Amino acid sequence: MIRAALPALELSDIQGDILRAYGNSYDCASYAFVRIDCEPEQARAWLAGVVDHVTNAAPWSEKPLTTLNVALTASGLAALGVSQETIGSFSHEFRQGMAARAELLGDTGPSAPPKWDQGLGTGDAHVLLTINAQTTADHRRALAKMQAAMKDTGGVSVLYQQDAELLHGAREHFGFADGFAQPAIAGATEDKAPGGGVPERDGRWRPLAPGEFVLGYPDEDTSVDRARRLPPAPTGAMARNGTYMVWRKLHQDVALWRRTIAAAAARYPYGDARKLAAKVVGRWQDGTPVQTHPHGPDPEFDPAAPGANDFRYRNDLDGRRCPLGAHIRRCNPRDALDPAGKLSLRHRMIRRGMPYGKVLPEGALEDDGAERGLVFVSFQASIFRQFEGVQTPWINDGNIFGLGTDKDFLLGEPSGSGKMTIQGEKPFFVSPQEAFVVTRGGEYLFVPGMTALRALVDGTAG
Amino acid sequence: MRSPNIAGKTYSLMIWTPIKPGEEGALRAYLDGLDNGAGSPLAKLPRTHMARWIVVPDMPVAPGTDLRDPLGTQFLLFTSNLDGDVDSYLHELVALMAVEAAEVWGHCVGCPQPAEGVALKAYLHRNQVDSGVAFAAYPNASVKQIKTALDKRARLIDFAVRAQEMKPAERRKEFLEQFGAA
Ligand code: HEM
Repeated sequence: MIRAALPALELSDIQGDILRAYGNSYDCASYAFVRIDCEPEQARAWLAGVVDHVTNAAPWSEKPLTTLNVALTASGLAALGVSQETIGSFSHEFRQGMAARAELLGDTGPSAPPKWDQGLGTGDAHVLLTINAQTTADHRRALAKMQAAMKDTGGVSVLYQQDAELLHGAREHFGFADGFAQPAIAGATEDKAPGGGVPERDGRWRPLAPGEFVLGYPDEDTSVDRARRLPPAPTGAMARNGTYMVWRKLHQDVALWRRTIAAAAARYPYGDARKLAAKVVGRWQDGTPVQTHPHGPDPEFDPAAPGANDFRYRNDLDGRRCPLGAHIRRCNPRDALDPAGKLSLRHRMIRRGMPYGKVLPEGALEDDGAERGLVFVSFQASIFRQFEGVQTPWINDGNIFGLGTDKDFLLGEPSGSGKMTIQGEKPFFVSPQEAFVVTRGGEYLFVPGMTALRALVDGTAG
Repeated sequence: MRSPNIAGKTYSLMIWTPIKPGEEGALRAYLDGLDNGAGSPLAKLPRTHMARWIVVPDMPVAPGTDLRDPLGTQFLLFTSNLDGDVDSYLHELVALMAVEAAEVWGHCVGCPQPAEGVALKAYLHRNQVDSGVAFAAYPNASVKQIKTALDKRARLIDFAVRAQEMKPAERRKEFLEQFGAA
């Protein structure tokens, strides 16, 4: 297959934290959903002041103390005066919004939109401001500045705010190192290709085409055929250097998770609770893949090291090392479904989530009623193909993996088979499936490029 | 020559009919109002693996190109994967799903009035389009066999999970009780 040379990414026109993470020096974050209650002109005047401070993707000479990024919902575009015709050129699922897709996403029962935190999923959230800060003092200053700017213009206010904070060792609340397995992107993160790119038959890896993650560039489809149009994108200024964003607040019931794993581990003939939990995730708590180290974590494992993520599933098609239904194997099956990874390469996403809430003390087995979990954030060119394409058929069902109605044991709820199968000499069934993770709310957003943001401010975005 | 619509013991049926101009809205509204669970009219045809109606408003552009390729009118597409032969299936369709069939295809150009019986069946036959590719996930299994197998799988999973905690004698006894006869 001949791949056309890819055009260079316009880094200074793409918002920051998408292609490359700001990194773990930013300990605190706030996600502020802003509601616009005024005329578009007034809202644009407010946005003008925000846009001046937005952090882009051009390499830093020095890390700023805080960063600022902007994303919009479909109703937010309308509130800023974007025409219905232009809004109509955005993807169907974005225009519908996350709440309307609840059934498809498995957001039912305790995760259903009527139970969501007030302000999310109603169409009232218009603009999302994401602030990252190196210290709590920097964080406080940035928030105060944001509030002051809103007061100055009036007509805009924070409808919902979620603060988040890195946990020690970049862990999520169940105790696992999180966030380091990311897609390798041509022109941005080729260095991550081994393990992050597309596994090729000859044993090599290649990075993904940038259009999988940023609009206006060839994607995996169009990069092999120059005659084709670029991937679908909105019309006008927003066609270039933007991306779609998924924002989900996922509550984690840590005590329920610990009790369930402990009870199942008491019956598990091949190891302890740590091993069973590692089989559910596909990684040991420190991040060592069970695929490469099925018996125990590698004390030398460094998730940031090149090659940390470099493994395949071809030599483990029966799941004896990494179970077929493990979280990371479902979310990125690599070459598990076909030798060249063709069935998974169009379903990748960049994850930039952060935990919220205080950790449940080690060893505690009773819920303390506190709110804690993961703010899940993903960036992709198509929410339908990439995020939903993983969430619906791969997390909430097991058919494609030969697992019937097994759901992802880490994230699922009891309406499937009610168990997870750990393949082995004798298979082991982890059960019961509990709802460890409950959706507290979310939005589908669009992250415009810098030129597009300025066009929004000028009222020339279409 | 072998029919392009056959895969194993299943048949891929496609019927493509132009919708009467101005009646698209009424047809859509009717289809939207149909139950798609156990109360679906298609559930009255027990040989159906999977079936659906789709209103195709237009195909303005050939996929992946800028070439315009309009249909000129809206069309109704009916597809069904079914067990056995198409003739007896259409016979059952006009008999067992008579009310809904009359309502749905009654909105289409050239449909006999009244839309029923042999006349409707002949109309559907006439507007059948051959499949480009016929695919069946389990070409040699009937709907009935698949349903029985799914039920057995659900019971077996339930048993397998519980059996982890049973003593061998108890495990053997329950297995034979539940699955011994099959
Ligand atoms: C509370 C909810 C969740 C928890 C606790 C969680 C936890 C984890 C952990 C511990 C890892 C391994 C570390 C890493 O690869 O960075 C991981 C990887 C991953 N997760 Fe999740 N996750 C959650 C929700 C989700 C959701 C909702 C999705 C997508 C719809 C998702 C997609 C992924 C992907 C794509 C990977 C990387 C897999 C790979 O490339 O090998 N996760 N997750």
